[in-house]
Amino acid sequence: MPNPLHSNASEAQEHEPRVVAFLCKWCSSAGSDLAGVSRIQYSANATPITIPCTGSVSPMYILAAFNKGADGVLVSGCHPGDCHYMEGNYLARRKLYLVQQLLRFIGLEADRFRMSWVSAAEGAKFAEIVDEFVGDLRALGPQNRLKARH
Amino acid sequence: MVNVDELRSLAAELLEQGQVRSLIGYRRGTAGVLAEPCTIAAPGEAETLVWDPTCLNNLALFLVEERKQQAAASAPDKRPVGVVAKGCDSRAVSVLLQENYFKREDVFILGVSCEGTGVIDPRKLSARLKGRWPTRVEFAGEDGFKVSAGGDETLVPARELLADRCLECREASPRLNDVLFGEVVTERGFDEPFRAAKAAQEATEDARWATWERHFDRCVRCFACRAVCPMCYCPECVVDSTTFVNTPGTSAEEKATRIRWCERSANVSESAVYHLTRAIHLAGRCIDCGECERVCPVNIPLRLLNTKLEMEAFQQFEYEVGRDFERPSLLSSFRDEDPNSFIR
Repeated sequence: MPNPLHSNASEAQEHEPRVVAFLCKWCSSAGSDLAGVSRIQYSANATPITIPCTGSVSPMYILAAFNKGADGVLVSGCHPGDCHYMEGNYLARRKLYLVQQLLRFIGLEADRFRMSWVSAAEGAKFAEIVDEFVGDLRALGPQNRLKARH
Repeated sequence: MVNVDELRSLAAELLEQGQVRSLIGYRRGTAGVLAEPCTIAAPGEAETLVWDPTCLNNLALFLVEERKQQAAASAPDKRPVGVVAKGCDSRAVSVLLQENYFKREDVFILGVSCEGTGVIDPRKLSARLKGRWPTRVEFAGEDGFKVSAGGDETLVPARELLADRCLECREASPRLNDVLFGEVVTERGFDEPFRAAKAAQEATEDARWATWERHFDRCVRCFACRAVCPMCYCPECVVDSTTFVNTPGTSAEEKATRIRWCERSANVSESAVYHLTRAIHLAGRCIDCGECERVCPVNIPLRLLNTKLEMEAFQQFEYEVGRDFERPSLLSSFRDEDPNSFIR
C-alpha cells in the first residue's frame, strides 16, 4: 500500500533548495573556504555572498532574498566577542532576532531563516550547518510564500 | 480632569509672548464628530482648541512636517513649536528626540492626560449608535464616555468605544511634557499589553500565513500607513526608487542592474516586502499610536506587526519605546544576555 506521507516526501526530494548565505568576510567566509580546501563534502545548494560584517546585514537583504526566490537564508558571522568591528555581531544578533520573529509571525516556515556563528577555523562546522539547513529545507519544499509571483 | 480653558489660555499666552512660533493642537472638525488637527499662530485662535476622546491624530506627525519646512526655509524661526500631546504623542516626540530629529528646545509640549481612558474608535462608535450621527463625545471619568446623538446623552462604558491600542496602552498620560493638564494615570486595567499580538501568534504557522496572505493581497499600496506615521520621516523611502528616474538616456543595462527592493505592483509578495520592511524599520521606534491601522482603507491590522516587535523588544531586551530619549535606541545597543540560543 502506498504511503501518502512517503510519496509527499519523495516529491519534495525532487526540489533542490536554494540557500542564500550571507557570510562575514572575517570568519564565516574564511570558514567556508576552509571547508573547501579541506575537501569536505557538503551540499552545493548555498550561494555565498560575502559581506563585511553580520552587522551590515540589512533586514532588506533577507526579505529581498526570499522575494527573489530563495528557499532559505543563512546569515553567518563571528562568535560573540570575536567581531572584527568589536560589536557588529551583537547588533546583528538583536536585529536578526527581530527579523526572525517577524517572519515567523506572518507565517513563514520557521526553518527558512537561520543564523550561525562560524569562525575561520570551523570549516567542518560550516559544512555541517549547510548540510543540516539544506536537509531541513528539502523537507519543507519550495518557498512560495514570499516569492515574487509576477 | 483636563481643564480645556486652562489649555486655551496657556496656548494664547505662549503665542502672545512669542514663546512659541506656532502651536499644533486639535479643533472641532467640520465633518462629523471627530476633532481635526490644526496649527494656530495667533493668540485669538487659541479659543478653538479642544480636547476630547475624538482627538485621534498623532500630532507628532505635524512636528515632523514643521521641521521639514523649517529646514527648507531661508530664514528659519528658531522659536519652539508648541504641541498638544497625549500619552502616545509624547512618546513619539520622545523617539524623535532620541533620534535627534529635532532638539528638546525646539518643541514645547502641552501634555494632556487621557483621563484614565483614551480615544475612541470611530468604527466602534458608529456600530454602537446603529446609524445615528453622534454630535459630541466627551470624557466622563474612568467609567466611560458621554455620547450625544440626536439630542439625547448616554453614558457608554469606555471599554466599548476605546480604540484597540488604547485598551492595550500602558501609559495614558504624557511622560515627556513641559506642562501637564489632568492627572497621571498609569494603572488602567482595560486589557493586558500586547494582547492582540499574543493572540495572533498562538495560531498555527499555516493559519498565520493564510491570514496574512489575505491581508497582503488586499493591500492597495496607497502608502497611507507610511504617510501618517510620524516615524516614517525619511525624505525618500527605500521601497520606492524615486532617485532612479528613467530618462531616454537610461540604458537597458542600468535598468536591469539597479536595486529594486520591491516592485510597485500591489500583489502578495511585494506588499509583504513593503509591510515587513516598514515593520522592521519601526522596530524599537513604533509608539503604538495606531494611526497606520486607522487610516488603512482596507483594514489591514498593521498594528499587529508593530506591536509584535515592541513585545519582543520589551520581553527580550527590556526596551520600552519612548520611555527615555537619552537612552540609546533598541537597534543601536545590545546586552551580553540578548537571546543567543536561536543561533547555531
